[in-house]
Amino acid sequence: MTKGVKICLAAVIVIFLAAAAAVILMSLRTGQHIAVIEQNGEIIYRIDLDKETDREFTVTSPDGGQNTICIKDGTICVSEADCPDKTCVNTGILRNEGTPIVCLPHKLIIRFADENGG
Amino acid sequence: MKTKRLAELSLLTAAALVVFIVELRLPDLSSVPGVKLGLANIFTVYAVYRFSARETFLMVLSRVLLGALFSSNFSAILYSLAGAMLCLAGMLLLRKVIPQRFMWLCSIIGAMLHNTGQMAVAVAQMRSLTPLMWYPKLIIAGCIAGLFTGLCAQHVVDRLTPGNKRKADKK
Repeated sequence: MTKGVKICLAAVIVIFLAAAAAVILMSLRTGQHIAVIEQNGEIIYRIDLDKETDREFTVTSPDGGQNTICIKDGTICVSEADCPDKTCVNTGILRNEGTPIVCLPHKLIIRFADENGG
Repeated sequence: MKTKRLAELSLLTAAALVVFIVELRLPDLSSVPGVKLGLANIFTVYAVYRFSARETFLMVLSRVLLGALFSSNFSAILYSLAGAMLCLAGMLLLRKVIPQRFMWLCSIIGAMLHNTGQMAVAVAQMRSLTPLMWYPKLIIAGCIAGLFTGLCAQHVVDRLTPGNKRKADKK
């Protein structure tokens, strides 16, 4: 094993462990109840999931793509979308910080609000 | 000689494309976009250690462009292009540091760079830092996928290198 290999190997292990720690930390932070919906980097909705009544509404992106967002029993999910990959629908309900619901083609993000309200 | 190289590269590109398209048919492994085995990377890692930088670059570029064409998913082309190019640049630099015996290590770093490139495009496209939430998961997935594809390429190269115990079967 040359020195270069050792350095690379050590770097990979450190990065891997750091990533694992970050994933665990993020999945531990649950219990937030303010969800924000972002489109094109701007917040278009702020929703308090504890107080919100069950409803469905549609968000249209500037290029005409549509995502139907469903709020039910304090959870939020994308129930329908006309994007090609359907990642946003397959993500299911918003559970923790580490797994935002994102529709890349429509530039739509649903995530929990930051501590400082942003 | 030149024609032979060209034929070899075309064959590799074609094989990588087939694997790429077959992999597209498999269901997503995770709700995080970008998490996949990246089997086509086996061919990239192999090419990095067997061909010149220019030849590998041409192979990867045509694989990415044709892959987008065949899968008719052009919205993803920026992601795959950024990922593939960053990955390739990193591996081409590292092949001087990491000997062939440790190819899998090069592949892991390549996979992580690939995901880093995609992350950068996601952040730029969404104009939001939220996709960074996926970054740790992508890094972990990249390590595992990179190790797997790297070992695959390693075995191929070992068998094709003359002087090894197990000589290549007739190619």
